[in-house]
Amino acid sequence: MTSTPASASFDPAAVSAPALEMRGITKRYPGVVANDRIDLVVRPGEIHALLGENGAGKSTLMNILYGLARPDEGQILLDGAEVKISGPADAISRGISMVHQHFMLVPVLTVAENILLGAETMANPVFLDRVEARRRIRELGARFGFEMDPDAKVATLSVGWQQRVEILKALYRQARILVLDEPTAVLTPQETEEIFAVLKRLAAEGHSIIFISHKLYEVLEIADRITVIRRGRVVGSRTPAETNEGDLAEMMVGREVQLTIDRGESHPGKSVLEVRGLHVADDRASEIVRGIDLQVRTGEILGIAGVAGNGQDELVEALVGLRRPTAGQIQLGGRDVAGHTPRQMNEAGVAYVPADRHRFGLVLPFSIADNVVLTSYYRVPFTHGPIRDEGEIESAAEQAIAAYDIRTPSATARAATLSGGNQQKLVVAREFSRELALLVLDQPTRGLDVGSIEFIHRQVLAKRDAGTAILLVSAELDEILELSDRIAVMYRGQLVATVDGRSADKYEIGLLMATGGRERTAELAEAAAADSGVTP
Amino acid sequence: MRIRSTGAALFAGVALIVSACSSGATTAPSVAAPTTASVAPSTAPSTAPSVAATPAPSSALKIGVVTDIGSLNDKNFNEYTYKGAVAGATDIGAATPGSVVPKSSTEYAQDIKSFTDQHYDVIVTVGFNLTHDTIGAAKANPNTWFIGVDQAPCVDPTGADDTKFACKGDAKTLLPKYISITYQEDQAGYLAGMVAASVSKSGTIAAIGGTSLCAPCIRYIQGFALGAQSINSSISVKTAYVTGDFSTKAFGDPVYGKQYATSFIAQNKPDVIFQVAGATGNGILDAACSAKIYGIGVDVDQFLSYPNADTCIVTSAEKHLTNSVEATIKTIGAATAVGGPQLFNASNDGIGISDFHDKTSLISADLTTKLATALAAMKAGSLVTCPATGCGVYSK
Amino acid sequence: MTAARPDQEASRRRSLGRRVWSAIGLPLVAIVLAMLVGAVVIIASELLVGGGQLNWGKPLEAYGALFQGAFGGTDAVVQTAVSTAPLLLAALGVGFGFKSGLFNIGAQGQYLTGALGAVAVGVALAGAPGIVAVPLSVLAGVAVGALWGFIPGFLKATRGAHEVVTTIMLNYVAISLLAALVAGPLNTPKSISPVTHDVGNAALPVFIGSNGHIGILIAVAMVAVVWFVLYRTTFGFEVRAVGVNPDAARYAGMRPRLLTMLTMTICGGLSGLAGAGDLLGVSHQMTSSFSTTVGFDSIAVALLGRSNPVGILFGAILFGAMRAGAPLMQIQASIPAELIDVIQGTVLFFLVATPVILRGFQTGLDTTQITRSYGEASH
Repeated sequence: MTSTPASASFDPAAVSAPALEMRGITKRYPGVVANDRIDLVVRPGEIHALLGENGAGKSTLMNILYGLARPDEGQILLDGAEVKISGPADAISRGISMVHQHFMLVPVLTVAENILLGAETMANPVFLDRVEARRRIRELGARFGFEMDPDAKVATLSVGWQQRVEILKALYRQARILVLDEPTAVLTPQETEEIFAVLKRLAAEGHSIIFISHKLYEVLEIADRITVIRRGRVVGSRTPAETNEGDLAEMMVGREVQLTIDRGESHPGKSVLEVRGLHVADDRASEIVRGIDLQVRTGEILGIAGVAGNGQDELVEALVGLRRPTAGQIQLGGRDVAGHTPRQMNEAGVAYVPADRHRFGLVLPFSIADNVVLTSYYRVPFTHGPIRDEGEIESAAEQAIAAYDIRTPSATARAATLSGGNQQKLVVAREFSRELALLVLDQPTRGLDVGSIEFIHRQVLAKRDAGTAILLVSAELDEILELSDRIAVMYRGQLVATVDGRSADKYEIGLLMATGGRERTAELAEAAAADSGVTP
Repeated sequence: MRIRSTGAALFAGVALIVSACSSGATTAPSVAAPTTASVAPSTAPSTAPSVAATPAPSSALKIGVVTDIGSLNDKNFNEYTYKGAVAGATDIGAATPGSVVPKSSTEYAQDIKSFTDQHYDVIVTVGFNLTHDTIGAAKANPNTWFIGVDQAPCVDPTGADDTKFACKGDAKTLLPKYISITYQEDQAGYLAGMVAASVSKSGTIAAIGGTSLCAPCIRYIQGFALGAQSINSSISVKTAYVTGDFSTKAFGDPVYGKQYATSFIAQNKPDVIFQVAGATGNGILDAACSAKIYGIGVDVDQFLSYPNADTCIVTSAEKHLTNSVEATIKTIGAATAVGGPQLFNASNDGIGISDFHDKTSLISADLTTKLATALAAMKAGSLVTCPATGCGVYSK
Repeated sequence: MTAARPDQEASRRRSLGRRVWSAIGLPLVAIVLAMLVGAVVIIASELLVGGGQLNWGKPLEAYGALFQGAFGGTDAVVQTAVSTAPLLLAALGVGFGFKSGLFNIGAQGQYLTGALGAVAVGVALAGAPGIVAVPLSVLAGVAVGALWGFIPGFLKATRGAHEVVTTIMLNYVAISLLAALVAGPLNTPKSISPVTHDVGNAALPVFIGSNGHIGILIAVAMVAVVWFVLYRTTFGFEVRAVGVNPDAARYAGMRPRLLTMLTMTICGGLSGLAGAGDLLGVSHQMTSSFSTTVGFDSIAVALLGRSNPVGILFGAILFGAMRAGAPLMQIQASIPAELIDVIQGTVLFFLVATPVILRGFQTGLDTTQITRSYGEASH
């Protein structure tokens, strides 16, 4: 698909003057044009989605809008008047606010205190008018459909509510243009619904919202207009009515993308992993996995859904040998491996794709080749005696690069120079390309673009079909639903339900994730027990 | 023997900081004019009268000084030796001497070599620690004059440093241009003893040495006792040695020195205490100040080198480093110099006691006279300042 | 994904540029700035305490003498090599620790104990044939230094005691141990002050000039050895991985605690070798006041060389040359040796400060840094 300037597709229905217009924005970094003559028009009361892969130029464009970067060329117009935005403070004073994906909140302070932070100079330069602040926070909340307690400590709020605090912060500063950076990435489906309702009310009040995302269905659901950016250029601008997921994906990636992979039937065989009564403590020695039983068979994917922080990380770390369980059994092929070292687990055929690839997955300053052999460097053929065989290491790396389509100039490039998607492919390449008994995937596609997600999902399914037992942990319910043959929901260190992957209902699982399904646990457990081999 | 030297270099870092802070514009009267001026009026012409006869003070001699670790302005061996070299150079009309301050003990040889490479004619090395490398350089450069301050070389029959201390070789003939300067400590100690006895009210004074293995320390103390007795024949002189070996405690441990002296003072109740224990002795001076009794320093004017104890330092038994180096350079300038060991004592203005500074009021006119008389007698060789037998030998 | 290509190319080029800058450009800028500061200090001190005159030529005179003292002629170059060798070895040890994420402040103590071990065995074998005495004495120095490194490594691995604290404390223990042994069992009877015997046949043979001992060759060879170990062996791979990302290293089956002990032992061995080389090659005997600045200078050298053995070689030559040139600078230009300390300290200061200062400038002009961090946050 060839690029077409966005200006060619103005919405004729829109009559009001744009709240924000970015014209011909160009930003060059050494060796790369991050933004190439980008035009963006956002009208008052419009929810405008900005869609694009990682590295497409969305972030640069928003940095320019927020005053963090200066454009080399182009103009920014607010309400028709050209402005130069000198920095975030200037942007805020002009009514532009940004809600980052990682919240900029101080957990130990109250909602009101967080909202006043940075805004305190606006009303009274000397004293904080807390009474007035509380009143306004309540009022703003009520206006947009939620009741916010200004005196609640932020630390006690759920992620969804923290996000609302961020939005309130922006509104309190009288933002008219609100930029939300992947606001739904951390939310359950219910929370997403709720936040969408808030955004729609904001738009109805005349606020303009720029919504950055790469979740296509969400964008179609919420946006009034969708602008797609690829390689620093606007490739098109559409209303939801004019387009569909496939069309958007193609615009984003530049080729046809298969959004839902046909995963085919699973053919589970014998049991590979059996976990019995597993208890694991977290770093503060408090028990966070509290009695888990599960089983994974060859050729099947068991998905574990759950809001982050319910013990999934510790469960996974226990399974791969990074964390010693406090009690219980982990049987791998009938042998108890609880408390084995990572290397023993690795040699027993356990592979691991960690949620935080920068922590457990890669040594970023090392070359791609060194990362490819990170877990096997000590074995023939990569070493003879104490001395490394650089030739073998490099050829293994070349193979991995070719097989997993890792985009890099060479195998000696440092892992840190790769994009997120390619870094993850590197981890996958290392972990997948050996004899596997059990594959433990912890959020294997977190932060990746659709192209990379598609690629990794295909690889995972290929491994399943080749007979590998796979345990998939993810806070992204979509991913769990897309890949899992069975789904267990983890809540406060326990598996509260196990359901069949094909018949699973997204909202039901979302509810279980959020509440543990206290009122329905028994009922669901029965159902789960009926259609799977797992004891709940 | 330079008492400060042993082990004291451990504290070179501290000393550097201290000296850096205390250097600056402080005048050093003891250097410019002998502090003992009142005691030893500079009437005494120096050892080599021929020097004075040098017709035109102009010399092409290049003089260099290699100090010990620390800094050039340490109010101690480095500084006073260098000042002596400067004075000597001025006297004979030579250029201002160059100086090199080593950073570590592995650098001594290199630093001396820097001067020989530049064809320096006279190289002064400061302190016992440089003995080994000065011997080596003297052997390798037989045409260069070396002045080793506070050095007593012990060489084997080839003229190399004998680290086994058999001392079979004769340094004077084997290294004919190596002048090793030593001092007659008992004479300085004698003068200090006179001062101590005179300011003492209780009739009990004390001297503490670093180790009983250190002959110069013993000579200092023997002289001190005799000097005290010359003032007050019934005076009680308590003597002690911090340790009987060459451990750090002997000369390098001021904390232990203070501890040791504190209990020593409590037991023996002296009201004047003479330290002959280097950095350990600095702790002894601290203890004296804490106990509100008087202290007497050693080797250099400690009122200047160790201001921490200024409240109680009356004077110091001094080696006249500046004088001795200056005089030696003059002999070289006059071509009358002789290699080998060179003893400095009262007769060549090589020892004395320091200025009394703010304690001048303690010194009676009577004492001043007596000191001058004693010094004159020493110069004349008529005053015994060390026991006839066992001088420098420890006896319980 | 197609968009990634130019991005990657650019980021690769940027990253290469950054590496070249941090490996060569930054140290050079730091050195030049430090020499400028040194020049200002010289001029100011001439003005304030020296002749009281504004002498613009004085810095040139000083640096000229410094350079001549370090490189003017065979003897000078040999002296530079002699001064460089211990710095190089100790800095290789410190840099090896840095690579593994360990901040070994104990090179000083390891150097001193290494020298102590070498002199103890060297004196005992002073009469033995050199072919026996030299290697055994050197190995003794390495072994004792290694032990001095092992202790903090062991304490860290088993008790979690931070190596910065333990190595600093062991530096003091080393000084006292040295004084005690030289004054005690190693002392020469009859000497008027504590000093050991000469190491005799255990002295390192001189192969060039008057004092160019073979310790220089050993030091240079160790650059290659350390480089090879770090970059071509599985052990070096583990050391580097643990240093950069202990979590990933643990997952990869490496044993960080064991590596900590081994690494500290090697650090100590290299510093011990530095001490042994100096003792057997330069001093040949030890007084109880035997001291050095190598241990601390080597930390600076390791930082200057970015812990890379080749970088350390250049850093050590720089510092070694300054030490070797210092006497002539003092003699010819009458500049106190402390100026060398000023320059060395300032080099380090600028090494650390320059990136910070430049970053401060950049925020106004170029927001690559911020963009990147924001880009990462938006993943």
